[in-house]
Amino acid sequence: MNMFIHELKSARKSILIWSLALVGITVLFLSIFPSISRDADEFKRLIEGYPEGVLKAVGLQINTITSFLGFYSYMFLYVMLCGAIQAMNLGAGIVAKETSGKTAEFLLTKPVTRLEILAAKWRAVLVSLVITNIVFVAAASFMANFVAVEGVDVTVFLLISASNFIIQLVFAALGIFLAVVLKRIRSVLTLSLSTIMVFFVLSVFGSIVGEEGIRYVTPFKYFDYAYIAEHSAYEARFLVLGLVLVVMMLSASFWLFSKKDIHSI
Amino acid sequence: MNMILRELKASRRSLIFWMAGILAMVAGGMSKYGSIQDSGQSMNDMMAAMPKSLQALFGIGSVDLSTVLGYYVVVFAYVLLMAAIHAGLLGANVIAKEERDKTAEFLMSKPVSRMQVLKSKLAAALFMIVIFNSTVLVVSVLMVQHYGGGNEDAGRLAILMMLLYLVQVLFLSAGAAIAAVSKKPKQAVSLSAGVILITYLLSIVIELSENLEVLRFATPFKYFEAKEVLFDIGGDWMFIALSVVLSGVLLIVAFTVYQKRDLNV
Repeated sequence: MNMFIHELKSARKSILIWSLALVGITVLFLSIFPSISRDADEFKRLIEGYPEGVLKAVGLQINTITSFLGFYSYMFLYVMLCGAIQAMNLGAGIVAKETSGKTAEFLLTKPVTRLEILAAKWRAVLVSLVITNIVFVAAASFMANFVAVEGVDVTVFLLISASNFIIQLVFAALGIFLAVVLKRIRSVLTLSLSTIMVFFVLSVFGSIVGEEGIRYVTPFKYFDYAYIAEHSAYEARFLVLGLVLVVMMLSASFWLFSKKDIHSI
Repeated sequence: MNMILRELKASRRSLIFWMAGILAMVAGGMSKYGSIQDSGQSMNDMMAAMPKSLQALFGIGSVDLSTVLGYYVVVFAYVLLMAAIHAGLLGANVIAKEERDKTAEFLMSKPVSRMQVLKSKLAAALFMIVIFNSTVLVVSVLMVQHYGGGNEDAGRLAILMMLLYLVQVLFLSAGAAIAAVSKKPKQAVSLSAGVILITYLLSIVIELSENLEVLRFATPFKYFEAKEVLFDIGGDWMFIALSVVLSGVLLIVAFTVYQKRDLNV
């Protein structure tokens, strides 16, 4: 319990900064939504004269993309980007800091097992992420009330919003795993930022060229808006894939951490 | 000279990773060329008539993806993001790492002035940026020639790389200035990453709303558009001048502040 509280305390500032960052992104993007829906209306009037086949295809697409939830799921990619960086930083940092801050010796000589240490750290990560997400969802709902003209499907809205948390779990577990596996991490942020950029670029690029297989590779693509909107649920196999990854990386971390050679100087 | 070599050696591994990343990004991205079906003339007309904000939501903008250079524009957007992250983190790391890794005392007790230290470090960083940039150029020219049947204009790509270089130098200077100014060495890298992320998100938001065009000054990601460079006029002189001036100012800040910096040893 002490360790858990200590970790949470030292994460206080980062929770605050990241919550503000996510709120900032949400406010920034959603505040331009009214101008987007105006543009969409104008454009729909403009294309009325086009052949019916084209109109049907594009008109439908425009309606989906420029609806509030469509736009929300578009901007959500950038929320996930920041959320992922937060989570991986937190996960990798919370383990790596004992070595880089030369506090490993102090901590490991306390009468607690290594498993207990890592478990406390993981709980602190979980709670930090939950707090950030609650702040984010509150801000997003507030903005949604503010800018959405048509009624918003609350279930779909919450499902999209909550998917950030699941993706964060994956990246937090990945961070912990890497911090346990790698001998020394010089700069946690460099590691997590470059790892996440790889996944981010893969997912954006994958969706432009329409590569389906990429969805299994990058967590950013686990939760597809079109599916959520239609079924009001996550795609089971991707949800399971995400959770299995978390469990696997965590159990590997616990196992490896319990026998890791930790240098204290 | 010793310091430059030492610096280059220290970043060797990370540079190799970045180069592999570029290779994968550009070669992998370009290999998908042709997988996007040309959507037909009436569709292209319609896309051209679409407001800029909706084009951005559709994810491809107004480039013609059926030409190899048009397709390259899409790939380049991510190369630019990678280059910015590399340069920004490099600028901050190259200065902050001495204090972070507790080697500042050793370095500063050598018979060299701080001015010389900083000069060598920045020279090494600039050299690494040149390598990064040349890698992008070589891979891009090879790929564009390969998929374009050998009759594409490589000169335009060279101009594009020069503009990319300006942006890289700008982010490098910003990282260096941040590292010189910030009190804690660990903070420097986070701040630098924050600046990169914020300017990147700003560039996305600008795409979505024409009212925000003025903010182009605030984000180097928008100082030039690959589409314009490759298809018509080249860079915008005002923004080229702006990036040179900004880099100069930031470097002056880095040098003056670092001279008097209170080092954490």
